[in-house]
Amino acid sequence: MAQIFPKWTNQVPRKILIGLIVLINAVIISIWYFFSPQYTDVGFAPTQPVPYSHKLHVGKLGLDCQYCHTNVFESKQANVPATQTCMNCHSQVLTDSEKLKPIRESWDSGEPVEWVRVHNLADYAYFNHAAHVNVGVGCESCHGRVDKMEVVFQAEPLNMGWCLDCHREPEKFLRPTEEVTTMGYKAENQMELGAELVKKNNVSPPQYCQGCHY
Amino acid sequence: MSEVKQNTYWKSLNQLANNQEYQKFVEREFPENATELTDGFSRRSFLAIMGSAVLLASCDFARRPIQKILPYSKQPEDVIPGISLYYASAMPFLGNLTGLVVENHEGRPTKVEGNELHPGSRGATSAYNQASVLGMYDPDRSRKVLKGGNNASVEDFVSFAKSHFADTKQRIAFISEANSSPTLESLKKSTLKKFSNATWTTYEVFGEENALEGTNIAFGKRLRTYNQLDKADVIVSLNDDFMAATHPNSVENAKMVSSRRKVTGTNDTMSRIYSVEDSFTLTGSLADNRLKLKASEIAPFTFALAAALSKRVSGLDAFKNVNNQFSNHKWISVLVDELTNNMGKSVLTTGLQNSAEEHAAVAAINYALGNANKTVSYLQAPHLSDKGATLSSVLEDMKAGAVDTVVLIGTNPSYTAQNLEFTSALKKVANVIHLSDYVDETSKNASWHVNRAHYLETWGDGYSFNGTRSVIQPQIQPLYDGLSEIELLNIIANGSLASGYDLVQRTFKSIHGSSFSAKWKKILHDGVDPKDGFKTVSPRLTSSFSKNVAKALSKKATTGIEVVIRPDSSLFDGRFANIAWLQELPDPMTKITWDNVALMSPKTAEELGVKNEDVVEITTNGKTIKIAAWIQPGHVDGSITLSVGYGRDGIGRVANSYMDFTTGGVDTYPLMGKELYSEAKVSKTGDSYKIACVQDHHSLEDRDMFRMATLEEYKKNPDFAAYLSVHGYAVPGMKEAAEKGENAPVSLFDEQTFPEGEPQWGMAIDLNSCFGCGVCVIACQSENNIPTIGKKEVLRGREMHWIRNDRYYVGEDANNPQAVHQPVPCMHCELAPCEQVCPVAATTHSEDGMNQMTYNRCIGTRYCANNCPYKVRRFNFFNYSKEFLATGTETDIISMAMNPEVTVRFRGVMEKCTYCVQRVNRAKIDAKIETGSPKPADGTVKTACQQACPADAIYFGDLTDENSTVTKMKRNERNYLMLEELNARPRTSYMAKLRNPNPALA
Repeated sequence: MAQIFPKWTNQVPRKILIGLIVLINAVIISIWYFFSPQYTDVGFAPTQPVPYSHKLHVGKLGLDCQYCHTNVFESKQANVPATQTCMNCHSQVLTDSEKLKPIRESWDSGEPVEWVRVHNLADYAYFNHAAHVNVGVGCESCHGRVDKMEVVFQAEPLNMGWCLDCHREPEKFLRPTEEVTTMGYKAENQMELGAELVKKNNVSPPQYCQGCHY
Repeated sequence: MSEVKQNTYWKSLNQLANNQEYQKFVEREFPENATELTDGFSRRSFLAIMGSAVLLASCDFARRPIQKILPYSKQPEDVIPGISLYYASAMPFLGNLTGLVVENHEGRPTKVEGNELHPGSRGATSAYNQASVLGMYDPDRSRKVLKGGNNASVEDFVSFAKSHFADTKQRIAFISEANSSPTLESLKKSTLKKFSNATWTTYEVFGEENALEGTNIAFGKRLRTYNQLDKADVIVSLNDDFMAATHPNSVENAKMVSSRRKVTGTNDTMSRIYSVEDSFTLTGSLADNRLKLKASEIAPFTFALAAALSKRVSGLDAFKNVNNQFSNHKWISVLVDELTNNMGKSVLTTGLQNSAEEHAAVAAINYALGNANKTVSYLQAPHLSDKGATLSSVLEDMKAGAVDTVVLIGTNPSYTAQNLEFTSALKKVANVIHLSDYVDETSKNASWHVNRAHYLETWGDGYSFNGTRSVIQPQIQPLYDGLSEIELLNIIANGSLASGYDLVQRTFKSIHGSSFSAKWKKILHDGVDPKDGFKTVSPRLTSSFSKNVAKALSKKATTGIEVVIRPDSSLFDGRFANIAWLQELPDPMTKITWDNVALMSPKTAEELGVKNEDVVEITTNGKTIKIAAWIQPGHVDGSITLSVGYGRDGIGRVANSYMDFTTGGVDTYPLMGKELYSEAKVSKTGDSYKIACVQDHHSLEDRDMFRMATLEEYKKNPDFAAYLSVHGYAVPGMKEAAEKGENAPVSLFDEQTFPEGEPQWGMAIDLNSCFGCGVCVIACQSENNIPTIGKKEVLRGREMHWIRNDRYYVGEDANNPQAVHQPVPCMHCELAPCEQVCPVAATTHSEDGMNQMTYNRCIGTRYCANNCPYKVRRFNFFNYSKEFLATGTETDIISMAMNPEVTVRFRGVMEKCTYCVQRVNRAKIDAKIETGSPKPADGTVKTACQQACPADAIYFGDLTDENSTVTKMKRNERNYLMLEELNARPRTSYMAKLRNPNPALA
């Protein structure tokens, strides 16, 4: 009686098994990577109605973050500045720049400029700027080196694991409150300084769910 | 230890009988079929919708949708995005203002709280105040001026008014709702001067006209009777439900009563409340002694009481010859002793709907007892001094064609005065101008309908019940460009459109005169005007008093079944019918939602052969309606109580009655007679109609949940509320724990550890203060974005309220029980049974001692709800906030009412009371920034229910603070834990209720 299966079929189960392992791993790894905020969100740099350059205003001209984001020490929102803030200077400087046309239109009409949100947390996550900057979490810790960004992009993944990195070990990241808006701040003795600041500011970041989710 | 008598507590007659129906109901978490998708939405269409939703989601996974940030163009002063602002304002109700502080998020009012400086509020609110926010964002409110039913504009109306009201000789009838606005008052005066043939009628179905006429009979002046219940040792209510939200001064009344009933130790005293009433009311459930009488028997009882008192005190000779069936009643002799022993320290009060003669008699009794100007003040209110034309006389003129123009301000008499055939009279008038919130029954017969601006949108003014002047400050531009009543009247009087701001400011300028701007700012800031309010009058009985009451004294009670029509606890006279929060708020006594019913006693029901939900036919005053019967234990026999406000058509999506499973209710106004009660014929029809009653939902099934004693028993045995006193043995496991030196029994569950430095939150609820009004439910709903779900879903036991108010009847006698109220929020157990069964750790414990619910982790197994012994967890069976709250196309409007600090929950997610964690965390962050400590000072965090409570029944705070109010309350001997034997260690505890009954009536 002839063989029903030729000899090469002996290899089939093994090949399928190996193939499956490779495939499953590929699926897991690609979901792991491609579905993570690290891939989906970091680097998000939408085109804004006005090509405002943080690199120019912060990096070159040396504006402090708080010149525009005025409420960061008081409110949960750091606030995007009103058109009025832009017009403080631009009623004198570059008064007929084509790029600044939406700003002038907004100023004349009273309609807001429609900025595109770059850093977007999920609705079920509560974030409060004041709670962070008042105890020495620097702007750049979450927003990156804004002074080097021609177009603002999301520098960090802003996912829960990333938040918890700091909530678990705040001493690794804290800086003196007066250095919060400094770009490129680096302490020589971060661990000692951090531990000192944790003690001084009585920092105990919540690690329970309801600290942020309600 | 002295033995404490154990009470029987029950929620429904089925529970008292412990019959099969009840057993079947409580065995299941939800009623049969409630957890299946059976109707309307077939499984296939559900899958189709789900399929497309999945497809859409998968295309869009890369990044959440693009959001825009819209900053101001020109930054307004004081507005900091993310920080809410609070402005003082006031809500008018029956012409009286309740002072409010309104939370405003970037120009969007989301929540009202009481104004502590305002006497009508004292920091608390009523359910009507809380729900008014949703009333403003109601997409069904009228949005346009209508001319003969067709769209028109405000400008059209102004030009019409200009030409129409140029004729100052025309006969105009103004019919207005009660309004205390001084601006309106001065406009009214100038209007009546300008139009010499005009009449003014103030019309409220459930207003205070009889009370004013009563003082007119007694003292010769129309005076407001202001009961200072906090100064009274004895309060006797003759069918006056002064604690309910339907009373024009309910919030202050509750504040005053509860301040005299706070007991912190055995040396404290309590006031004593007697209630004589027909239906079982909130006041009756609070009362220490309650007597049930038919509504028609209240008058003979009042006069018999006056007659008996006339033998002991002078000034009541008018009544000395009264001799009726109550003259030898036990209560009369007891009350006479009690009142004469407390001369000048008692309050006798009678219901607003009772006749003027009864009010006169009560005024005379209070006067004779020396209560006048001690516990009862008589105030002269400018807007009440003139009676004006009565509605019936105006109606006669209208029918006779003697009226050219009718101007209706805010009222809806086509609905509320159906018994007077208002609509047919209105049709005889050529020009009808109607200002109202909705295109309602009256608007449909008006030649001009003007949409009204909500009080949160417009400038106004007025007086509180006791005469404090306030400004109504708008929180937002009118959503639909409506006009206020003063703006409308100004158009009629002056032919031009002036802003409410100018009109109100003009009034206050004339009152305050020099250096006005600083005073104006302070008035707006404080919400109260310190300058003179109503004048207190020292009354004198008129010489014609005996003559004027003589006729009423022989009035007989009805012999057959009588029908009594009352304002509804939720909808009042129907004005709140389109506010879903109120429709779904269970009635404080019956616990019925979305419907009105015919309330009757168990005995009357037996005589009629009806049971709950049987439809009965009621005929009186020549009209017949059909309505479902409901048995109310403790209701007087031979009487049926109906409430109004339901059975609407074409008002709005919430108010409209479909008599099905969506919304229901029957219009009972046709049965209204001239008096509070009328004799009726009642028969069973054989039909039945489903009522969504929540009384048996979330049942604790007779376990020991409520503890109560009399004041005397408490003094003899201060530990009556301890577990040992109630059960006769200590908490199981306690002895063993004590031997090991521990202070709590050993648990199967892992002990929680709470880090040093964190506050530990806890709550104490004083059952002695709670009287069951339900404002906590609405305040919670407003604060926490809780959806309403509709009648059909309530029938399935899916109501979403985070705090429920359980009402228990007490005693074995279903015909005459007591009633008590117990609010039940999440207990935040330290060893929470719910946390143990969650497969995904969506409910866990926080470091500050709260049982936290993480929505984004929840997968909806509902194990936690099953394992909760207190039944406080609520599940989103549908995407309620989208499908039920924001119906229709304009979801944006309702979503503006949402609190931005709280997540809006999605389908398939469990939720429950969070101790208002958004307020707690906000206070913790603020305290940390300001003081460096994560512990907010005592009193800085108030939960929404606590802040709204007019009885101050809820205490909340940090248990690690030895001096916090909540810690002190928890140290009180009346403090007990519900179901303590389960060792769940709830953070919410109760303080046992006390009663102060007269031993002579025991």
